Amino acid sequence: MNLKNFTSQKQLKTDPLAEASNSELPPKAPVLSPAEWLKANLFSNTFNSVLTILSTAAILLIIRGLLSFIFNPLRQWSATATNMRLLMTQAYPEHQYARIWVSLGFLLFLTGVSLAFWRAGRSVLLSQVGKRLLAIGSFIVLVTLLAPFSSEATIIWLIVGVFIAGTGFLLKSSREDKTTSSMTLLSGAFLLAILSLWVIPYGHHSYISTRTPKILAEPGTVAMTTKLPWTIMLVVAICSYFLGSLIRDKIDEAKGKALLSTTWLISPLFLLFLVLRDPDFDTGHLFSTDIPIFLFFSIVGSVILLWLTNPDIGEKGRVISTAILFVGFATFLFQMLMIVRILTLVLAFFALAAPTFSGQKPARIRYTKVWIGTMVILCWLITAINTPSTAKVPGDFFIGGFAITLMIFFFTMVLAFPLGVLLALARTSKFPIFRMVSTTFIEFIRGVPLITILIFFSVMVPLFLPDGMDLTEIAAVTIAFIIFEAAYLAENVRGGLQSVTRGQHEAAEAVGMTNAQKTFFIVLPQALRVAIPPMVGQIIATFKETGLLAIIGIFDFLYIARSVIPGQTEFMGSTRENLLFVSLVYLVICFSMSKASQRVEKRVGLGER
Amino acid sequence: MQSSAEEKSSTLQAVSQRVPLWRDVVVIKWVTQLALLAVVVSSLWFLAGQAGDNLQARNINTGFDFLERPPDIQLSEGIDTSPATGGRALWVGMVNTLRMAVVGIIFATFLGVIVGLARLSNNWLIKRLAGLWIETLRNVPLLVQMIFYFAVLTALPRVSLESGPINGWFHISNKGISMPRVFISDGFYQWITVVAVGCIAAHFIRKQRLRKQDLTGEDTRSVSWAFLTICVFAVIGIFVHPVFSFIGEIFAGLATLFETIPTSLVKILLSAILIFLAARWIRNFFTSRRSATGHLSLIDDDIFRMVFVGTGALIAIILLISWTGISSWILNSGRDLFHMLEAKFEVDGAARPFDAMKPDIVKPGKFANYGTSGLTMTPGFAAVFFGVVFYTSAFVAEIIRGGILAVPKGQIEAANAVGLNRGQSLRHIVLPQAIRIILPPMGNQYLNLTKNTSLAIAVGYSDIVQVGQTVYNQTGKSLPVMAIWMLFYLACSLTISVVVNYYNVRMKIVER
Repeated sequence: MNLKNFTSQKQLKTDPLAEASNSELPPKAPVLSPAEWLKANLFSNTFNSVLTILSTAAILLIIRGLLSFIFNPLRQWSATATNMRLLMTQAYPEHQYARIWVSLGFLLFLTGVSLAFWRAGRSVLLSQVGKRLLAIGSFIVLVTLLAPFSSEATIIWLIVGVFIAGTGFLLKSSREDKTTSSMTLLSGAFLLAILSLWVIPYGHHSYISTRTPKILAEPGTVAMTTKLPWTIMLVVAICSYFLGSLIRDKIDEAKGKALLSTTWLISPLFLLFLVLRDPDFDTGHLFSTDIPIFLFFSIVGSVILLWLTNPDIGEKGRVISTAILFVGFATFLFQMLMIVRILTLVLAFFALAAPTFSGQKPARIRYTKVWIGTMVILCWLITAINTPSTAKVPGDFFIGGFAITLMIFFFTMVLAFPLGVLLALARTSKFPIFRMVSTTFIEFIRGVPLITILIFFSVMVPLFLPDGMDLTEIAAVTIAFIIFEAAYLAENVRGGLQSVTRGQHEAAEAVGMTNAQKTFFIVLPQALRVAIPPMVGQIIATFKETGLLAIIGIFDFLYIARSVIPGQTEFMGSTRENLLFVSLVYLVICFSMSKASQRVEKRVGLGER
Repeated sequence: MQSSAEEKSSTLQAVSQRVPLWRDVVVIKWVTQLALLAVVVSSLWFLAGQAGDNLQARNINTGFDFLERPPDIQLSEGIDTSPATGGRALWVGMVNTLRMAVVGIIFATFLGVIVGLARLSNNWLIKRLAGLWIETLRNVPLLVQMIFYFAVLTALPRVSLESGPINGWFHISNKGISMPRVFISDGFYQWITVVAVGCIAAHFIRKQRLRKQDLTGEDTRSVSWAFLTICVFAVIGIFVHPVFSFIGEIFAGLATLFETIPTSLVKILLSAILIFLAARWIRNFFTSRRSATGHLSLIDDDIFRMVFVGTGALIAIILLISWTGISSWILNSGRDLFHMLEAKFEVDGAARPFDAMKPDIVKPGKFANYGTSGLTMTPGFAAVFFGVVFYTSAFVAEIIRGGILAVPKGQIEAANAVGLNRGQSLRHIVLPQAIRIILPPMGNQYLNLTKNTSLAIAVGYSDIVQVGQTVYNQTGKSLPVMAIWMLFYLACSLTISVVVNYYNVRMKIVER
């Protein structure tokens, strides 16, 4: 601690308020010399010393075993490297691959801007970074000494380890108040990784899918088709971060955040149906049917809703919205386009909910805007789904591998959340039949394993559908996931709902809110905030559960790693290598999700208020 | 004055006016609910109708007759590897699932407690190792772990026709992990009866010692005394257990009793029990709704509950009376149970309660495998076992850590202040308080573990899901098999949650 800090502290001590706040800080841990640290943390008594020695021996043995497994010349790591494309997107055609890069680039762009807008990252002390680097460097040196490397490789790795440790050592002794942003560190790490693609000879593995597929393994850096797009991706991500921080100061931050959240929700659908599939739009049908239907519903619906949200409308409004509901049900009795039926029913629900959102002019206009937005998404989505794709892909579905894992995960989360909230509301409602139905449903789903539900849906759904209706296996399985996760999310939300105190309910009733208004504006916001940590846990669990797709034979990440690649004649018996790669991907993603959620928890101040 | 009187009368008028039907809150509430129920039921009805039509069109019948027919199934392991009927095959699968669940729960708890305590250790290295264990294992999907363990196990050295005799203590190969086996022998059931008597005796001895401790204040070591009593009985039991073979006669008598009871008696008895239960529930409900002054006011919700319970009981009774199968099934299974117990106790003479054997390799025809003499974990079993145990142990460790950290530090300091040593304060102060926090999430983990054993299908361990899938692939009876799965897992979940709830209630702090 330098003199300047010392004096400033002394000045603070004269201020009684500052002293009070100062005394609440925990006392600083004393700085221990290495010998003292060892004594305190590893050899404090006989039992601890024995434990330390035994576990050190065990660690060394395990690392040695792992290394001799990983660097065994019999290992076929080229199986994973060659099939990287298969693992990520399955059989997506090579000449259409630009679509995947565009999608990924857009998502990275969104990530960068969002990180800037939500001010992600925190400042890290440089000395802390130094400590970490020192630890990593020492670990690399240790591993190099234990690993069965050739002498050349040993020397290279020793140099790398010593270099990192040295950098760490230099940084460690830097000034105590020097900080850097964690985002800088992250982009630095990515930069190094991308740079290594251009410099370090990882080897060039390619899979040539001629009539008799050939596998090429050449020395040199990785293929241009890999390193060029990744470099562009990195540039996009970093540029968008800086762009985001520029824009952030120029425009209204709340509005920007709202816009970004909406884009996040919609963009996967957009990318999926418009970019990845290359839809072949029938323009005639588009102009003669789709657009008129959309215009009709948005105009007529807006007028009706504007009128219905008038606070003075009273009973007439309810009668009219009930009438629309009946019309919606009646449409199923006549021959007509499915889209009309769906839109009528959606309009009926908007009309029924209108009194909850009634109010002054801005509120009414906002409600109407939400209606038009819903129409845009629904109409566009239905049109896009019904449009065939020109990207001809072998297999049942246009994409597979890690991409399908992510896709099903996204759809499950987006659709299971509202369903879960509904179920939780029904389970805590005053309506006994709602309560009973929802409780039975939730307890049933939670009582059986996911795999039985998945098998049930993938085998039985074709049997339950009426003639002429068809559901792909992917869709059926996604529905199974949604139902399963909704039951679990409902329990999390219920916990949140129960934590809202009685006084909040009573206060809402006292100011004259209806039941719906009370739930929507008072209870749910508080309940959902409390439910964030368990819900994030559930989201991580869902991501891990996507692996179950492999059991029912969908070409997901795990299935390709376990069954497809070891089936290639060149790579027989490479299951363990591929599975280690899959575990690593899951580990990195789930671990960073859980760390991020812990930070978010701290930020919203849960458990502190 | 007059105006206020007028106001009052108009208010009275407004109050006394009947609310129109479409504005009555109760009416709206029930109409909405019934409408929703109607929508749900009719859509389910529609789907079921579709399924019926489709099944008929594809010539699939959905009866349960496959349970009685011989299947063409060879199971990889279980109590019966070539079952005689489809029902027997599913039963073997259920036993395999339960076996995995029980073993997994025991080992996962044990390992989880160790890791959780290690996470709290003041040894830096141990703490970090436990943290690494937790973070790695809980962030890699269980299925990936299981398949990985399976891949590792099947890549081990092979057991082949050339492999010679094995040393018999511990052998590991691509056919699994084999070790000596201790198994229950003919005299086991008589012996366990002696031990049960010993437990009763131990209970009384412990009570007596505790009473003495309360009176005199000296440490009477009640637990050690009780434990010693059980051990003495267990040792004596090895020599005297044939005495208890007369119990078989009692069970034989009970079995004949079950044979002679007419089904109508069972029907009457069960109906009486149901009526009694429903009536008691309604009576208790009335008592709980009565205010302190004895005034009873019921809202529509309460009436619905009573009607629901009453109708439920009525439907159950009607089913019971009209469907003789239920009563005769109860009688038959009771009879079979007692016949089975009779057979267990029939053995007399100097049968030993236990026996032990070492593993060996047998070579029938062109194959080589472990024989039945040792305890062999097949690769499938081992993969599922290590998968669920390691995965769950990470979660259990976090629960244990959370529970212990939740005990206020002052409690431990107070325990130290009154002179308890570390072990005593852990046993008497920390654990009793931590266990209340630990138990509910632990119950959840046990439930998850049981459900997670269903992933065994990915590594070919014959659990209920895997056997069921084989059965329906052969017979095409997918619907009944899935119904059996779901009922089985629901029963498991219900059992575990009942047990955990029972302990929860017992452990709860008694409040005023």
